[in-house]
Amino acid sequence: MSARYDAVVIGGGHNGLIAAAYLARGGLRTLVLERRHVLGGAAVTEEVVPGFRFSVASYVVSLLRPEIIRELDLPGHGLHILPLDGTFTPLLPGSGPTRRTGANGVPGSGDYLWRVNDHGRTVRELRRWSLRDADAYEEYGLLMVEMAKFIKPILGLLPPDPTGWDPREFIGLAGLARDFGRLPEREQAVFVQLMTMPSADFLDQWFETDPLKATMSASGIIGTYLGIRSPGTAYVLLHHYMGEIDGAFRAWGIPKGGTGGISEAIGRAAQAQGAEIRTEAPVARVRTRDGRATGVVLESGEEIEADAVVSTADAKVTFLDLLDGGTLDRDFEAEIRRFKFRGSSGKVNLALDRLPEFTSLPNAEDLEHLRGAISLSPSTDDMERAYDDAKYGRPSAKPYVDMIIPTLVDPSMAPPGKHVLSCFVQYAPYHLDPSLGTWDDNREAFGDTVVDRIAEFAPNIREAIVGRQVLTPLDIERTIGLTEGNIFQGELSLEQLFFNRPVPGYARFRTPIRDLWLAGSSTHPGGGIMGANGRLAALEVLRAQGGRSAGVRP
Amino acid sequence: MTVVGGGYDAIVVGGGHNGLTCAAYLARAGLGVLVLERRERVGGIADTVEIAPVVRSPAIAATVGRLRASVARDLDLRAHGLSLVAPAVRVFAPGHDGSAVVLWADVDRTAEDLRRRGLTADADAWSEFDRLVRSLGGFMADLGEQTPPDIANPGVADALGGLLLGRKYRGLGRLDARTILRVLAMPVADFVAESLVSDALRAAVAWRGVRNASLGPWSAGSTLNLLQDAAGNDGGAAGETVFARGGPGALAEALASAARSFGAVIRTEAEVVAVRSNPDGVATGVVLASGEEIAARAVVSAVDPKQTLLRFVDPIALGPTLRWRAGNIRQPGVVATVALALSRLPSFSAADGDERLLRGRILVGAEGVDALERAFDAAKYGRISERPVVEATIPSLVDPSLVDGAEPGTHVLHAHVQWTPRELRDGDWEACREPLADSLIAQLETVAPGIGGLVTARRVLTPLDLERDYGLSSGHPWHAEPALESFFLWRPMLGYARYRMPLRGLYLAGSGAHPGGGITGGPGQNAAREIVKDLRSRI
Repeated sequence: MSARYDAVVIGGGHNGLIAAAYLARGGLRTLVLERRHVLGGAAVTEEVVPGFRFSVASYVVSLLRPEIIRELDLPGHGLHILPLDGTFTPLLPGSGPTRRTGANGVPGSGDYLWRVNDHGRTVRELRRWSLRDADAYEEYGLLMVEMAKFIKPILGLLPPDPTGWDPREFIGLAGLARDFGRLPEREQAVFVQLMTMPSADFLDQWFETDPLKATMSASGIIGTYLGIRSPGTAYVLLHHYMGEIDGAFRAWGIPKGGTGGISEAIGRAAQAQGAEIRTEAPVARVRTRDGRATGVVLESGEEIEADAVVSTADAKVTFLDLLDGGTLDRDFEAEIRRFKFRGSSGKVNLALDRLPEFTSLPNAEDLEHLRGAISLSPSTDDMERAYDDAKYGRPSAKPYVDMIIPTLVDPSMAPPGKHVLSCFVQYAPYHLDPSLGTWDDNREAFGDTVVDRIAEFAPNIREAIVGRQVLTPLDIERTIGLTEGNIFQGELSLEQLFFNRPVPGYARFRTPIRDLWLAGSSTHPGGGIMGANGRLAALEVLRAQGGRSAGVRP
Repeated sequence: MTVVGGGYDAIVVGGGHNGLTCAAYLARAGLGVLVLERRERVGGIADTVEIAPVVRSPAIAATVGRLRASVARDLDLRAHGLSLVAPAVRVFAPGHDGSAVVLWADVDRTAEDLRRRGLTADADAWSEFDRLVRSLGGFMADLGEQTPPDIANPGVADALGGLLLGRKYRGLGRLDARTILRVLAMPVADFVAESLVSDALRAAVAWRGVRNASLGPWSAGSTLNLLQDAAGNDGGAAGETVFARGGPGALAEALASAARSFGAVIRTEAEVVAVRSNPDGVATGVVLASGEEIAARAVVSAVDPKQTLLRFVDPIALGPTLRWRAGNIRQPGVVATVALALSRLPSFSAADGDERLLRGRILVGAEGVDALERAFDAAKYGRISERPVVEATIPSLVDPSLVDGAEPGTHVLHAHVQWTPRELRDGDWEACREPLADSLIAQLETVAPGIGGLVTARRVLTPLDLERDYGLSSGHPWHAEPALESFFLWRPMLGYARYRMPLRGLYLAGSGAHPGGGITGGPGQNAAREIVKDLRSRI
């Protein structure tokens, strides 16, 4: 005797929950199955050190599509995003325009570069470094907003099969081509550069201040196994520029209660639409009959029948682990095996009993510089060298670290007076050089490397740590179920975007197995807490089921 | 139109292989053509130099196998003295341990050779891999012959071109059609790894994806370069290895002879310093360094796009946006060449006395994909690779005329050395010139012990020399970086890929134009087609 649903969604991450919400809204009896005891996938909050709550993996939000927030009324379900203001880049002693070299042979504090949302203030700060860059910053910012506006429709577009020649599939693309033709000449050229160039070389066209380029280009490498001088990273730069909060591009925030707060809000929204959610319900396999998905079997042996199975697990897990061998066509299976994951990032979460103090800018009353992102990206060479280590299978000796202190905007995350320091670290290549052993042998050393790197800029960090959690790419794979620890469910490299994501010909959420759908970040438009994948996929499922709609326009 | 008496229909600036090809086609179409070459002889990177008395060597490029068959045919280059030699071996890549990868012109022979060396899986995969490279390269050749479409004002011709290309694309078959879209933007390291197992074999093929580029095998877009290298020639997976008798300079002479036979005039030691334009922004002629001015209905630059737009053109006529764009065309030169005169044929341990193996391209320092990547890493920080990758040829083996009259046994070895960045962070190229030759010889010693003792003369061309002596901005032999950002519709810049530069009457016909660098004659041939069209419609 088995239960029966119209749609079963595998995975209770943000995409799974969003897909479920839209499916339920379209009238389907929908069930979400989450393997873990918490919802959220990579967007989870957990109390790892007693009293301290960490956004374990994903830690900031900006890409979540505004139409999803609106259509699912996420604020009404408890979503509350607190804005993060600014990016603070501390430098090492003795560097920067004022150098702060100290006296009597004592090395000085070093300088810093601090950009905030207040444009005028940032421009004044940049003037300290370079008048030319201060001018260019204005122009560059406007240009990138135009670029983000232009590319935004791509996020809602179903990629055509370029070898399929079905003209209907190309209508959306033709519209985009028409819009492209209407852009001014320079914006057209810059768009092409964004799609092809290395992020650092792209920025070279405007800026000369090295720490500025290093910090800005860092957005181009997040989650990729590429360096800032690798072609293709300018696109990732743009991908991260598309973040919108309340309509403002390039605004970042953290959800109250950590990133798990988003997942909980979406989960409540899905339930409000009528979806059922079960945790600790790991799916063992997708059942198929005559090339059609008919339901799922849980690890417990329980069987659940469904007209549609929507997987938000990544492409490898979905096709190679959840389907019985031999179900797939050989060519398709080979393409899936070729899909690249190559996780490159790790996460170190620190519980602190006091705030870090950066030598380059001592903590004042308002602690303003600690309220945004703190980026350890002192130079483009440092960034590129960090990548060079990873290319040959080694964790970066001096990694790029992007830190935030959520307790400064959301004190509920730690006991009074204590703090949480969330560190996103690159690079931590999933595939280590065999001479290093496994990530299990390297976990603590990796954590030490990160703390050492922070201590170069903020020496008091060592005494401040009262607990730490180190997440290697292997841990991300094990706990969250992301293949090779790739936070985007597959590399955001040029050949894995749009109609190639995850496989040419299957970029429209459909799979070769009828009634099996892919709706996670392995699909267009890729990763980040964006949700566009889950929403678009759900709308496609509804359309395929006799033209139902969730009452929204794709 | 201000054509003064005695003016030409077209002036071609720069007598490299593309300038000459373009001039020949223009003259063949009945136009009055003048070629102005800054140096004392034509050829550009297709040059042969004397490195010691009666010992001649290729200067920059060593082989000419990428030359478009239609160029050789249309211009009847054989009648103008071009004689090609294609050895049976294409690549010999010796390892430090005495092992080697040998790629032959004959696909089956390569497979056999791989099998004999214990690379069974690769031996089995080779013929299918060769087919794939030829199929995808064939599509790149079709693309290369097209003038990129006019995206601003598409016309009937653009639509027809698109349809034709669409048909060729469909002709690839569904599987290859998907593959090409997937692999173009891919790192060549990934592309070769999809088919081949042995690291040494992967590197020997992947090298062609990064040759002349400031890219490593792990850089996105390097697959595109590999496929371009295989486009329109018999290279396949092994790559072309074809020599011109008399060195690459002989190809330039044949092209010049063909151009003259159609009536083109060629002047050497005639350096152009500016393109004249009238107040309407129309190019009207050129100004030479001597002060001489020559009028023409069209000015065709075979010089790189950055110099063409920033040095030759009046900044007011170009305007600030285009100056900014042209100034940002990337040209990271990373190539040096070293020519060695040798008292006798060197002995490569891995060749085991088999002199035939030395007739192709000899690849040293590329024993694995990571070795290539590490050699590239140095360039990112403005340093010369400590263990550069060397592609050497011994052209005197297949063309003894190069050492005619020299001591018996004399040979000449030409080495393409990479990565050697034009912009050095510490030190300057004058000081690095001889150490570079020493480091090259040391690199060769690892696979050909004793070679250093055979050197009787040497001549180094640093990236600075390429810039100063050959007029290549930043010493980039391919005029603009062969990267994804400079391809087809946007080579050298989006909106100017149709050979027509921002000034009316000014054209680009060199490697900075589609389909890019290498001795193909492609940009020159394509540009001539467009120029003839324009000039005919403007009569």
